[in-house]
Amino acid sequence: MFWRILKKDLKRKKTMNIILLLFVILCSMFAAAAVNNIIAVTGGIEHYFDAADVPDVSVRMINSRENDLGEKIGELACVKEIRTEHWLCVSSSKYFRHNGKELDNFTNAAYLLSDSEMAVNYFDENNHIIESVDKGCFYASAPFLQDIDIKEGDEVELDVGNRHLTLKFMGRFKGALFSTENSNPPYLIMNSADYDYLSTDEAAHIMNCGQFCVNTSEVDEIRELVKNYGGAYVNTREESKSIYLYDMLSAYVLMIISIVLMFTAFVVLRFTIGFTVSEEFREIGVMKAVGIGNGSIRSLYIVKYLAIAVVGTLIGYFCSVPLGDMMLKTVSENIVLSSESGILMGLLSSAAVVILILLFCYGCTRRVNKLSPIDAVRNGQTGERFQKKSLLHLGRSKLPQAVFLSVNDVLSSPRQFSIMIVVFALCILLMTIMSNFALTLKSEKILRFFDVPSSEAHIMDSEILREVMVDQSTHKQTITDTEKLLADNGMPGKCTMTISEQLEASHGDKTAKIIFHAMKGETNDTLYVDKGSAPQKTDEIAVTVSTLDDLDAEIGDRVTAVINEKKYEFIITGTYSSFISHAAFLYEDFNLGHLPAHDVMGLQIHFDGSPDRAQINKNIEKLKSLFDTDKVYSTSDFIKNFTGMSDTLNAIKQMMMIITVIVTALIVILMERSFIFKEKSEIALMKAVGIDNGSIILQHSLRLVTVSVIACIVTSAVLMPISNVMMNWVGNMVGDISGLKCDFDPLEIFVICPAILIGTTVIGSFLTALYTKTIKASDTASIE
Amino acid sequence: MNNTVLQTKGLCKTYIVNKHQNNVLKNVDLTIGEGEMVAVMGPSGSGKSTLLYCVSGMDRVTAGEVLFNGKETAKLGDKELARIRLDEMGFIFQQMYMMKNLSVLDNIIFPAVKSKKNSESRRQTEERGRALMRRLGIDDVCGNDINEVSGGQLQRACICRSMINNPKMIFADEPTGALNRASSDEVMNELLTLNRDGTTIMCVTHDSKVAAKCSRVLYIVDGRIVGEKEMGHFGGSDKELRDRERELNNWLMEQGW
Repeated sequence: MFWRILKKDLKRKKTMNIILLLFVILCSMFAAAAVNNIIAVTGGIEHYFDAADVPDVSVRMINSRENDLGEKIGELACVKEIRTEHWLCVSSSKYFRHNGKELDNFTNAAYLLSDSEMAVNYFDENNHIIESVDKGCFYASAPFLQDIDIKEGDEVELDVGNRHLTLKFMGRFKGALFSTENSNPPYLIMNSADYDYLSTDEAAHIMNCGQFCVNTSEVDEIRELVKNYGGAYVNTREESKSIYLYDMLSAYVLMIISIVLMFTAFVVLRFTIGFTVSEEFREIGVMKAVGIGNGSIRSLYIVKYLAIAVVGTLIGYFCSVPLGDMMLKTVSENIVLSSESGILMGLLSSAAVVILILLFCYGCTRRVNKLSPIDAVRNGQTGERFQKKSLLHLGRSKLPQAVFLSVNDVLSSPRQFSIMIVVFALCILLMTIMSNFALTLKSEKILRFFDVPSSEAHIMDSEILREVMVDQSTHKQTITDTEKLLADNGMPGKCTMTISEQLEASHGDKTAKIIFHAMKGETNDTLYVDKGSAPQKTDEIAVTVSTLDDLDAEIGDRVTAVINEKKYEFIITGTYSSFISHAAFLYEDFNLGHLPAHDVMGLQIHFDGSPDRAQINKNIEKLKSLFDTDKVYSTSDFIKNFTGMSDTLNAIKQMMMIITVIVTALIVILMERSFIFKEKSEIALMKAVGIDNGSIILQHSLRLVTVSVIACIVTSAVLMPISNVMMNWVGNMVGDISGLKCDFDPLEIFVICPAILIGTTVIGSFLTALYTKTIKASDTASIE
Repeated sequence: MNNTVLQTKGLCKTYIVNKHQNNVLKNVDLTIGEGEMVAVMGPSGSGKSTLLYCVSGMDRVTAGEVLFNGKETAKLGDKELARIRLDEMGFIFQQMYMMKNLSVLDNIIFPAVKSKKNSESRRQTEERGRALMRRLGIDDVCGNDINEVSGGQLQRACICRSMINNPKMIFADEPTGALNRASSDEVMNELLTLNRDGTTIMCVTHDSKVAAKCSRVLYIVDGRIVGEKEMGHFGGSDKELRDRERELNNWLMEQGW
């Protein structure tokens, strides 16, 4: 009997059941994709490191061939295994030629690695381990491929000293310990014979580097040993994960999007179930009246929703596979993600959707117990609401009739419409926050977080900076020579260089690995401190908040560091914000001696006389020809070079725009269709009393448009505070940043994004509201 | 007969259900003059409501002509039909359909706000709505929600709504069908008052007591008007009503009621 009722119900209430089925599909699709995304992201790097056989510790050092560090590490009792890579150095991109043109797409030196010396597993684009590379071929890491149109099979010419090679590009490779950020050096894997051929030229050994991959139980012993070697840096497996920070941030952003989509689908689903159950109160009343028990009535509806849920989740699960792949695409380009658990987790999450739907249904049908047969019959019959009175009065309102009705409907069912407002606001917030983030990460206001002073041009050519990298004391000569060159060529200016050293600092019994910066050269800028003051003497430093935490110190405390085998004591004078979290800023006069630099943030030029942008661009062009390099950047290009995430965020923003259009359209169409179904009697009545189709369509469209307009207003009000909080939160993840205010493009966030949402709502609701035309005035007679 | 308000010629209405043709109205010829109060009676499924919906322009006819106030409504477009329903007709249904998000008063004045022939301000319209409610004795529920009033009050509110645009004719589909006897009498008395004031009324009913108050009764069977009884205008006394009801019941018996 129940089966017959169910069958009849599925047929008779086809529209609502199809709407419900569509929401279930959406829900399970987003849930399965989101869960898959969460698992892939959270466990992604650990899985990748396992697959790549990343060791406990990796030690990198300059001129690794010329010293015995590798042997000494191997001799330590705690070392279980040591694998070594020696990299040849190609100091500039201009030594590579593609289609006859010198490359100028990366700023750092490139490193060459032999296929016979691969210390970890490297993967090709299809996630297969690269066992060997054919002679005359090479694989390249992501930074090599930025801004060039190179395809598999293309030939690249390489000159190292007097050696010349023509190599065929085999594709991009993924190296677990190599950063994929464009600001980092590119790596190339080549055949050992090609590698040996190049290594016979001395030029390949200037600034050569190496990596020792060590499996050990005692990291501290390795650190202790490495301390004695200049230009050597230790990274544990955990520390190496930080190179995926931007990938993880993108992944987390996508994860948040997935969660929002999942939340959206569940909220709408919950609403739809409640809605369809309330539509059935009349039937429930009839069943109660003839003596059917509450349990039986509820089980009838639960069985119905179970059937819809099972069918919907199955379809949704299959749809989630391409969606999940699309969302993880940006992450899987750089990381080898696990696909093993995907199917199982997808199925489990789909099963969870079924259970949740049944719980919703159980909750919604709870009212069945409370209703008497008469209540149920009356409620089902008239659709009366038992809430407070309407807030607006037609007689006192100046609004046109259709506008009045739509606004009144929204105000009369605040809960129902506020759910939609929240959903729309979330969609538009994600779009606009992405826009703000992308813009801020490109903005010149973040220059100070790169630890460089205000400047108009930045020379980033590794060849020009090479001497300072090897011996940082040569900065004076580099700065003097450059300033003279500038003056001689009619563009006088002051130069600065921010040199970094990685040193160990101590405070009490706490020690930490800190990057010490020293700004060399003349500048009018003083270090921007968030608290305290900038260092004014050589025994003063400003530190980041993370450094304070690491050392358990406060402003005014003294910390010690060994520099050039001499112990120094510094007073902490203040805290500052930087993209490098564990860092300290020395006073400019502090002498670092002849240490090789850990890093140099380029050579910054501040032109005299505040030239305009056109003049700056001219000067930059002149500098390019004077230094015979393309790696002279304006401040905005300099920032863009370091914040590749800005482009990723832009891509995510565009994806979010597409998702918003799809989700909004789906919600609008399905909700409007539900409203039409529910309000069939009112529509018929309106037609009967002489309201024309146009007015009814306008009322229905305006109702949803009102919701989307409110969502846009709410979003506009909360966008900037939320953006600032989140930007600083992200800034704290990437570095140690506080007090950053987001940039925004008013046209995009206050016009374009709202226009997308409102436009989709207008089109979706209007087209769906056309369905009201099918309801006739005479349908008043056949309404239940 | 006074001036004709409504006239049908060869009116047919056919529904196709599951590929089966169902001829609900068959060649109905009908004329209703100004100031008449016509009851349509007949067994269930005879086509009473369909006739009402077809002549009022709420539903399209399959064949034949419908002339309302001299205009052939069957040939009019949806928009023009809607305007006629809004400005020149009033409707009362068995179920007291109302807009759930509007108060009782707002429901009443809603058609007037929409009407283009209405040039008064919203305040004036509201005042007129209140006056109508006062006249029908429900002015104390002006601001109430529709779930806060009784069935009888709600039906009287529906009558107010049907009157708000001063229609030429009111169509009522079993207006007392969902009411108890007392409420039913009140509603019918209001309709009689309206009719006396000059409004033409066409009323579908099963209730011979309701029909006995009408000036003419049509009896419809299987989509055809098979009988017609002139009753004359009802004076209002209980005795007269009893006599008219008896007379009508006899006639209905003859028709096979």
